[in-house]
Amino acid sequence: MKRRHLWVFGAVLLLLVVIVPIAYSLPRERPPDDPQRYLQRHPVPLNHSNLIQGPFKTPQDVTKECLRCHPDAAKEVMQTTHWTWEGKPVKVPWRDEPVTIGKKNQINNFCISIMGNQHTCTTCHAGYGWSEDKPFDFSNPYNVDCLACHADMSVYAKGFSGLPAKGVDLLAAAKSVHNPKRENCGKCHFNGGGGNNVKHGDLDQSLLLPPPELDVHMGRLDFQCTDCHRTQHHRIKGRLLADNYTIPYEEQVHCTDCHSQRPHEDDRLNFHTKSVACQTCHIPEMAPKDPTKIFWDWSKAGQDRPEDHYTYLKIKGEFIYKRHVKPVYRWFNGNNKYRYILGDRIDPTKPTIIDEPAGKITDPTAKIFPFKIHVAIQPYDKEYKYLLAPITSGPGGFWHDFDWDKAFRLAEPITGLKYSGKYGWTETWMFWPTTHMVRPAKEALQCEDCHGPKGRLDWKALGYPGDPKEWGGRFQLNLVPEGEK
Amino acid sequence: MTNLRSFSLRTGIFLTILSALVLGLIWGFPYVRAQTGVPPLETVTIELPPKGSPMHPPFPILDANGEHVLKSGRPMSTMRTCGQCHDTNFIATHSYHVDMGLSDILHRRTPASGEPWDVSNGPFGRWDPLFYRYLSQPGDERLDLSTAEWIMTQGIYHPGGGPAEISREGQLLTQLEPDPTHPETAILDATTGQAKPWDWRRSGTVEVNCILCHTPNPNNQARIQALKEGAFAWANTATLLGTGIVDKTADGWHWNPNAFGPDGKLKKAFVTIQEPSNKNCAACHGPVHTDPSQPAVVTELNPQTATVGQVFSGQRISKSGMNIQGKEKLTRPWDVHMDRGLSCVDCHFALNNPAQAWEKRENRPHTLVYDPRRLDIGDYLKTPVHDFARGETAQHPLDPKSKGTMRRCEDCHDAKRVHTGVLPYANRHLSVLACETCHIPKLYAPAIEAYDWTVLMPDKSPRVVYRGMDGPAPMPGGDVPPTVANLVTGYTPVTLLRHNRTGMPELTTPNWLYTLIGTTSKGERTTSKSGGDWIAPYNLITTWFWVYTDANGRVRPVRRIDLEKAWFDGDTYAADVVALFDANRDGQLSPDELVLDTKAKRDLIAQRLAALGLKNPHIEGRVRPYSVSHDVAEKGWALEECTACHNTQSRLTRPMQLAPYVPAGVEPTFVKDTNVVKTGRMVKKEDGLYLQPDPKDYGLYIFGHDRIPIIDWFGFLLFVGVILGVSGHAALRIYAAKRRKHAHAGSVEEVYLYTPFERFWHWLQATTIGLLLVTGLLIHRPDFWPALSNYRYLVPIHNVSAALLILDASLSLFYHLTTGAIREFIPKPRGFFDQAIQQVRYYTYGIFRGEPHPFEKVPGRKLNPLQQVTYFGLLNVLLPLQMLTGLLMWGEQYWPDAIQKIGGLHTLAPIHSLVAWLFASFVVGHVYLTTTGLTPLEDIRGMITGWERIEVPEGKGSHEA
Repeated sequence: MKRRHLWVFGAVLLLLVVIVPIAYSLPRERPPDDPQRYLQRHPVPLNHSNLIQGPFKTPQDVTKECLRCHPDAAKEVMQTTHWTWEGKPVKVPWRDEPVTIGKKNQINNFCISIMGNQHTCTTCHAGYGWSEDKPFDFSNPYNVDCLACHADMSVYAKGFSGLPAKGVDLLAAAKSVHNPKRENCGKCHFNGGGGNNVKHGDLDQSLLLPPPELDVHMGRLDFQCTDCHRTQHHRIKGRLLADNYTIPYEEQVHCTDCHSQRPHEDDRLNFHTKSVACQTCHIPEMAPKDPTKIFWDWSKAGQDRPEDHYTYLKIKGEFIYKRHVKPVYRWFNGNNKYRYILGDRIDPTKPTIIDEPAGKITDPTAKIFPFKIHVAIQPYDKEYKYLLAPITSGPGGFWHDFDWDKAFRLAEPITGLKYSGKYGWTETWMFWPTTHMVRPAKEALQCEDCHGPKGRLDWKALGYPGDPKEWGGRFQLNLVPEGEK
Repeated sequence: MTNLRSFSLRTGIFLTILSALVLGLIWGFPYVRAQTGVPPLETVTIELPPKGSPMHPPFPILDANGEHVLKSGRPMSTMRTCGQCHDTNFIATHSYHVDMGLSDILHRRTPASGEPWDVSNGPFGRWDPLFYRYLSQPGDERLDLSTAEWIMTQGIYHPGGGPAEISREGQLLTQLEPDPTHPETAILDATTGQAKPWDWRRSGTVEVNCILCHTPNPNNQARIQALKEGAFAWANTATLLGTGIVDKTADGWHWNPNAFGPDGKLKKAFVTIQEPSNKNCAACHGPVHTDPSQPAVVTELNPQTATVGQVFSGQRISKSGMNIQGKEKLTRPWDVHMDRGLSCVDCHFALNNPAQAWEKRENRPHTLVYDPRRLDIGDYLKTPVHDFARGETAQHPLDPKSKGTMRRCEDCHDAKRVHTGVLPYANRHLSVLACETCHIPKLYAPAIEAYDWTVLMPDKSPRVVYRGMDGPAPMPGGDVPPTVANLVTGYTPVTLLRHNRTGMPELTTPNWLYTLIGTTSKGERTTSKSGGDWIAPYNLITTWFWVYTDANGRVRPVRRIDLEKAWFDGDTYAADVVALFDANRDGQLSPDELVLDTKAKRDLIAQRLAALGLKNPHIEGRVRPYSVSHDVAEKGWALEECTACHNTQSRLTRPMQLAPYVPAGVEPTFVKDTNVVKTGRMVKKEDGLYLQPDPKDYGLYIFGHDRIPIIDWFGFLLFVGVILGVSGHAALRIYAAKRRKHAHAGSVEEVYLYTPFERFWHWLQATTIGLLLVTGLLIHRPDFWPALSNYRYLVPIHNVSAALLILDASLSLFYHLTTGAIREFIPKPRGFFDQAIQQVRYYTYGIFRGEPHPFEKVPGRKLNPLQQVTYFGLLNVLLPLQMLTGLLMWGEQYWPDAIQKIGGLHTLAPIHSLVAWLFASFVVGHVYLTTTGLTPLEDIRGMITGWERIEVPEGKGSHEA
């Protein structure tokens, strides 16, 4: 009769009339960057302890058991460099034929080469039984080591030729499988180069139980490696520089996978992100806790001197380890400008850069990026003018006989590199991108760390006329081609 | 229809093609340009100047006679050497750093301090009790600091020239004959206490030291050493020690021929002339921390650096090397500008530097944002003004001609844009507060609180009190820097009114309301006009010292040498001093015992001073403000809590300790030569003497802090009274109703009383008034519910609700006027009183007996006479008054001057609060009376649905609509 419920509409209207203008007038805070939103959820791991019965005689039996339920797993792993230790053939400008790059066939400036030394080096191979004394069957899926990445590291360890270490209870290890944790990845990647933090400078055992100040992701937020190195079908995302030539953008891990392109509240800082990698400011130093090797002189090896892990070992030579290492900074677009290929001729009077980051100030995709440089004095052939790969741990190798000449001669048939009989020592550099151990914001670099009289960046070496604080940035100076900004 | 379709189709195709063309042009243009206009990348290089001095040419070093120093072996003359290209005379005469107040003496200017001992406004002629030594004037009875000794002591903070070259009569000092009776040609012999003649021709004088500020690594230690030794002529040359240009051996100074080329000019590598760096400024102005890889540590607490406790560093406080309380959480840089790479000279630039120069605000056409006409760079380099841009700090009389030449915060930052939407009444805040007030919330280094020269410590130093530091004051010369040994707690600066640019604030007539109620601390107050005065943060340093009247009737601070004699016999305290001061009778005077806390102690020292021939020795005290303008905190670290100021304990009224005690009960006076207005009063508390600032003195009304208690008490009691009244009434009604058996006397009828508009109007008013009362109360008394009292939200809610209410009221007034419905609210004179009495009788009597309402509601006549008179008052008096006062209070941010004329916030705000209390009381009564309908909730239902059931007394028919 009398539209009794009209008042409800009236009440709604009234509330709207009051609430809308008030809501409009209230101060609005900038919506925060929410990187958590982009994190991938891991599947909840199934407890395998009741599923796996055993008994296992050989490690291959364990893999067989795994493949019963995960039939594609080994095939997937065998596609990856964790298995092949060798990349796909690529064309490089200084070679006529395509080359492959990997641990399998190239050298670095730490232990130099695995060739002829597999027995020792393949302790970190995701397979069983790769050794120098017999050919390894790369097509046998049962040789894939599932446990290295999936077993609980308190019950599993690898030994020579990638086989389980003596005393490992295979059944217990198999029952313990789970999603890979920092302990799994870290077993090899924290100890690259032959010891804790030798190689990377930003990856070491302090990341097993990292305090929040050491690594904001793994420490404060308890990230596992696979949170950033997202993995699909055993293809693990993310590689940089070492043992690569060019790397597609989508195969790299980027901070912007989760973080905004303009993550700072301050515009002045946001303007930096076009030219400065996040790592540059947010990883002010390497090796904050465990020292990293920055210099290795092979030429001093073999002497009977007092030994010490951090300064001298008879089998390896002289070292310098350092903590709190300030990175060096280079333009970097994610690729290599050059990667030393076995047999490349060198100029022994100058340092040879084994892996040189690509990028320059005129390259809009390049950013200023922090690196560790590892300097080594390593052997080369005085006549052929290329770097030599000695047999070290292998039978008759330098570590046994301390005879360089013999080590090179033994290597000749294995590496296929001719040895003239005359060897010398030359300086080499390797670049290692600094990208882990991201510190909390309050530890990040400040303006004056780079800009100003005591700044850590050499602006002129980077291609700037001077400190961009006064001279302007590369876009302002028109150093980058227009249209690509 | 077809026509239209074909038209639109054709037009559509045409427009599509056209827009594609336009887009293509726009899109393709950069590519076309990129391909044709830009040179190949590899050719883009910029020629870089060599490191060191980018363009300063090599030059020969000359002595005062213009001879090459290699030939003469004499000290370098900067005036001659640099004068080869630069107009050094111009530089020396256009530099306050050089002048230091000498020109005040030369021109017989009256110093602003009004102190009998001051002869200038600068460090040369104005006595600074922190340094203590007094620059004696010709004709003084006793010689304290002669010109020569001034150079040896204060001259270490002086770049030379000015008073180090020219006498107070304008002659060259080297023209003066040695004369022990004149302070310009004598020196006090500390051992004998007698004046000795000073021979300027032997010592030479100090020219303006260009090297000190224009080379990267000047040897300041060697310079100071030369000055202290009185080797004035060599002081500037000493600054070059260590560069390889000159050496000093036991047999004197040697210029190094290898530093010079065959043409006599310095070799390029030795030419390091540069723009002054922070390090150069730091040589005199306190530690500047420049190496980010090293932790910042302030080790010096000398008066030059510790007057404010500013640390010039861009480093995060958490990373510094100092022992600061809660340091790990202080992850902000010491000074955000230092972090951002600004250098001292970026703000304090040479006034005619074409890169930075601008006109003083008051000289600049207000329509001009930027004037591109610039001094030629060559002219500038030849004749650079060496007066540097400065703000309007409390160090007011220094270099008065340059004050206000510096760019202020808002000249670089768009403060309005940054704060609008975040800070309520941004305009108002920005016009009243200096940026520093919020952006320098706290200082994290010790600062001087008091220098008490009335006593001397065992090492003959004064009693010094620092603020912002835990533990006892450090003794000079300790092994560990006090900032490392003592816990630094930091201190919060006091906020005082700073008067910008012109004179002192004018006094206005007393606020009539305050006079009437008599709650103001003073009868008078000063204006706070937008732009002119700001509330700014300060450190206050209090000094006490003995003065005497000399033989020539001049009042002078007691010389240190006399003061030492009054306290000591040789190196130990005089026997009668020990006898009186040694409270614990251990024969030693500990720092605790060295206080003039009794009249006897004061008299003893006064007697001992008088015994030295000093007439009328007595104690004076001064309080001097020091501006806090560095160590600026960025967003997130600034003061962002509204209730820091808007609260009972407002930061703006936060007292600052002047000293933990008052020597001999002498209350210090505020210095006169400053642009800071002393407000409030000095308060003696148990733990010392405080300055309690009072913003009321300059007419500032702070919401949440200021209130008139009488009004609040009246309002509150009224409010409570109404609640008690209606509660009693309700209780009686319930009691009466229980005793009454019969329910209704008449029949019940449902009547359509309220139109949708009326209902909407009512409820909108109810909602907004409710919001206004609640938010208003929280704004007025943020201390009641601190958790809810965030002005950032309360103020917009209050203001928007008010706007809605005003809009609602205006529209309804229009409605009531145009429809004539207003008549209902106007009491009709005829029979009004009878009817009113009838209504009163009903509420006080009839209602308890279940009598019917004397005036039943009918559409068009819903209000009874009491309601009529209440609403008449409410809607015609209170609501408009509240709207008007509220509107004016809101308008204060836009028209402060106009609002000030009608009494300002101090008048408006109390009225607004009073009316708010009346409103609140009304609401209680009003809501209560709605329960007097047929059932307690019937009236409310009526106001919601429009239909109300009312009781029709028997015998009365249904109403005619």
